Amino acid sequence: MEKTIDACGLTCPAPVLLVKDAVEQTDAKKITVLVDNAASLENVSRFLGSKGYSVTDSLDGDIYRIEAQCDQATSTVGSQKMEEQQPGAASRKILVLITTDTLGSGDNSLGSKLMINYLKTIKEMGPDLWQLIFLNGGVKLTTQSSPVLEQLQEYEKSGVIVLACGTCLEHFGLTAVKKVGGITNMLDIVTATHLADKVITVS
Amino acid sequence: MATSDDAGVYRVSDELALIQTLDFFTPIVDNPYDFGRIAAANSLSDIYAMGGIPKTAMNIVAYPMVKMGREPLREMLAGGAAALREADTVLLGGHSIEDDELKYGLSVTGFVHPMKIRTNQGLRPGDCLVLTKPLGTGIINTAIKGGLASPATVRLVTKLMATLNRRAAEIMADFTVSACTDITGFGLLGHLAEMICGTGMGVTIQINTVPVLRDAYEFGSMGFVPAGAHKNREFRKNMVAAPTGFDPVLRDILYDPQTSGGLLIGCSEKDAPVLVQRLRDEGMKEAALIGFTAQDQTNTIQLQ
Repeated sequence: MEKTIDACGLTCPAPVLLVKDAVEQTDAKKITVLVDNAASLENVSRFLGSKGYSVTDSLDGDIYRIEAQCDQATSTVGSQKMEEQQPGAASRKILVLITTDTLGSGDNSLGSKLMINYLKTIKEMGPDLWQLIFLNGGVKLTTQSSPVLEQLQEYEKSGVIVLACGTCLEHFGLTAVKKVGGITNMLDIVTATHLADKVITVS
Repeated sequence: MATSDDAGVYRVSDELALIQTLDFFTPIVDNPYDFGRIAAANSLSDIYAMGGIPKTAMNIVAYPMVKMGREPLREMLAGGAAALREADTVLLGGHSIEDDELKYGLSVTGFVHPMKIRTNQGLRPGDCLVLTKPLGTGIINTAIKGGLASPATVRLVTKLMATLNRRAAEIMADFTVSACTDITGFGLLGHLAEMICGTGMGVTIQINTVPVLRDAYEFGSMGFVPAGAHKNREFRKNMVAAPTGFDPVLRDILYDPQTSGGLLIGCSEKDAPVLVQRLRDEGMKEAALIGFTAQDQTNTIQLQ
């Protein structure tokens, strides 16, 4: 299904709001947006990118044409619809929320070893492991110096959605050194926990 | 008396000058009382940024009476009056007209000693720059319009915008300040550009020290950036140097137009940490030293 949105003559944030409504209300795999200024081009591209679309743009006279294709590996909306349509596929969606960089309380160096072990072992969940979201101190595990960086990159490669909270990365000054996963926000986290069949919180 | 600030100054005598300013805008939050407080705090800010004490104010109102009825108007004006009381400023009157779109603001008059006027010109070599409020209100207001901001975020940004720059200005008066401005529509980099124009100096901004509102980065990375931020960037990008690969979301936050933003204060390197500590002690928890002047980069803002 395709959808075209003409946002010419509108200034920010109107074009991005139009596109947001369109993304929420339809399950279009391909969205084309027409805008007539560079600011809207940037905002709309960024928004569609944040929703898991792969975005290309071209300039046609005075009009920018933004073409967005739904990328199923990262699109929450798209990929769930697919799964629901497969009867018999027993796959569940497990979301693991990691809110700290150590597991349990008592001794921190033990806690960080346990966390490494936990993150290496959850691959046993197999295809049920749907998303790994890192919050608060947990975002430290997504950076350059993370002892489980390679493991998390492996998960991401195998199709697990790995996300780190943008506010948390900012708070710790780690945005620049994040090495795995996308950046997420509270709205997406709330949506994801709502959609998951099971949420495991590691604190 | 000519300055390139947002307010006009008229010298009455050797002891007294008047600062006069006017600002009004369309609603940025849904609650009329809060909008009134924010509009008044924003209008008062120009007086504080120039080192003055606001004394009197007049309301300017454009209001769709037929569409909205009397009650929101009453609440909005009550919010404005509350902020004026907090500023010990007397409301003398005002003027209203019928209009399809609500607009509210105030014209404020303040007193200042002619020798103690702070302007946005005057940065010296070796000065530090202190910012008193976090950035990001424009982006968050855009997300509020898009229905994305949580009630907690709306409360946080409302409180910040309704906070007067009064206490910051009073603390600033205890220090030798070379230049001061309030951060509003041109964003941090736009106002900073005005500050260095004609000084023959540049400034370096240490990006990881710049205070940013919670959620502003998230909404910015979703494309909720107001048109004003892009206009500010188009206008000033020739004066700004950033390392390659500089995060475009952070860049937009630095250009984000602020409503009732904080003061940007130039002071000596020796005073800067003391000033920041005083501001933090008095409730401006996110006040921070964000950069310094650099003589070797004339007219350029270097992001680092």
